[in-house]
Amino acid sequence: MKKDKEQIDNSPMPRREFFRKISKAIAGAGVLALGGAAATKVKGNKSASLYWQIDPEKCTQCGRCETSCVMPVSAVRCIHANKVCGYCDLCGGYYRTNAKELNTAAENMICPTGAIQRKFVEDPYFEYTIDEDLCNGCGKCVKGCSSFGNGSLFLQIRQDLCLNCNECSIANVCASGAITRVPYETAYKMKDQA
Amino acid sequence: MKKFLNSLVLLLAGWKAAAISRFPRPDFESGYQYPEYTYAVPNEMLWDIIDVAMLLILMGIVTWALYKKRTRGPILWSSVVSVAYFGFFRGGCVCSVGSIQNVALAFVDNSYSLPLAVFLFFMIPILGAFLFGRVFCSGVCPLGALQDLVNVKNYRINKAVAGALSVIPWIYLAFALLYALTRTRFIICQFDPFIGIFRLGGDIGMIAFGVILLVMSVFTGRPFCRFLCPYGALLSIFSSVSVFKIGITPKPCINCELCHNSCPVDAIEAPYGNKVNESNRTGVKRLLAYMLIIPVLMAAGGLLMRQAAPQLARANREVRLYSQVMYFEDHPDGEMIPEVEAFYSQGRTLEDLISSYEEVHKDFRLYGTLAGMLIGLVIGVKLVRLSLKRGRKQYEIAHSRCVACGKCFSYCPQNRVKAKVN
Repeated sequence: MKKDKEQIDNSPMPRREFFRKISKAIAGAGVLALGGAAATKVKGNKSASLYWQIDPEKCTQCGRCETSCVMPVSAVRCIHANKVCGYCDLCGGYYRTNAKELNTAAENMICPTGAIQRKFVEDPYFEYTIDEDLCNGCGKCVKGCSSFGNGSLFLQIRQDLCLNCNECSIANVCASGAITRVPYETAYKMKDQA
Repeated sequence: MKKFLNSLVLLLAGWKAAAISRFPRPDFESGYQYPEYTYAVPNEMLWDIIDVAMLLILMGIVTWALYKKRTRGPILWSSVVSVAYFGFFRGGCVCSVGSIQNVALAFVDNSYSLPLAVFLFFMIPILGAFLFGRVFCSGVCPLGALQDLVNVKNYRINKAVAGALSVIPWIYLAFALLYALTRTRFIICQFDPFIGIFRLGGDIGMIAFGVILLVMSVFTGRPFCRFLCPYGALLSIFSSVSVFKIGITPKPCINCELCHNSCPVDAIEAPYGNKVNESNRTGVKRLLAYMLIIPVLMAAGGLLMRQAAPQLARANREVRLYSQVMYFEDHPDGEMIPEVEAFYSQGRTLEDLISSYEEVHKDFRLYGTLAGMLIGLVIGVKLVRLSLKRGRKQYEIAHSRCVACGKCFSYCPQNRVKAKVN
């Protein structure tokens, strides 16, 4: 026992101190390694942030966007690509499929909130616009338009409304896996700009 | 005539091929102009810079208050600012706690580029912990700050119970990494109890859980940080060996126990009065036995999680879709759920789905095994630490648990004495 004690006294530093120094060095190396490894995954271009967006080509309008967003009214809204639209009178996104009469009575409208407005342009064309304050992203008109029309109505996440959660609660339940993270350049996936 | 034509096309139009232009673009004669719409993208770049600057400033203030001023005042104000800014104003995203998953995802998913701000939010608190201890937890993390601000009384939790509960953050971390690495989901964000409170809305279950945690934190310090937070677990590694260490007082300790009673997270340990009389050899033997148990625990954890991998994988979208499609293939007369409908309308083949299903399962087996080993390792290390012999002569801070709230400073009588003590 006595010999042991002498050895400790003769050592350049106490054992506890030695362990402390070693663990400090390991932790420091760990910080460097972790930081360095993660830094290689950073891409230093303008797309610093990523945004959630719906791919309109994949979307099947299951209607979950309306109810699954963390916002009281979903950040998903319908967007109308006028350049794709056929300006039809008999619009699949405007009238219900079983509409008895083609007039603007509420029972004939597909939009539950009356957010689609139409304006007569010239015979036989009508211009359709979306009142974004009324739209709740249910996608009923989108379904109608892509079934019977050109698919000019489509759902998009409005980036000025989206909270950009780290984990999008709509993306989790999206039936078609259409919601993904996109870089700044394609923050909206427009139909008329392609 | 046009109307008739339209309805004819309407009849012919099928359900598939939504992108095909069924109606030609009209040629307007009245000089109609297409309306122009622009959809705004908020200036996230600017907000990212402000966020990182706020993180640095608040961490700087806390460090200054801890090391230079030895007072809690600025930390309290930093907490208020953090809850107001990071919490209520910025809605709690992205936070350092959740950034673990982004970093993990970036390692496995090459299509995902880690945003710089997320990287900084991940690394700065770790660097801070390595240099100064958990200054981030103290008054910068909005989740911790919120619990700290409502804390009134400190009822002590039984040491054994607290010790057992302190394994949970590690298990949570292992699962969060598992689900991020398999590209399944970000469970830390999904089950964040306070985000609903910050956003004044959200999942009712999680808000209720958050309220319960807040009520608990009135009576005992930071239950979320101590028994749930996976980032705190990560920081505790670095803070326990940090370069600079927080001291209760620069003056000699008089063993009055006041600081021990003031600590909300039970991170001040009492002097160890060698209660158990055992020979040096027995202690060493026990320690060696525990060291040998660690590999066994790791193997057991790895095996267990590997066995559970198919069940765990059911959270993954592809695996869920596979079982849904398979169910539909077996029952073609049944109702088509939206997922299955989307699967067929996207024109994906069954072989494609099966291969991605197997890919996910492979990932889950690999990362599940690793996560299980991590859990085993943590439990083993906790056991070893319990049996380490301590030679404390005075009250000392356990730096891995200390969240640097600075409450002990004003309790220490030595800090109150103005006259110089020799």
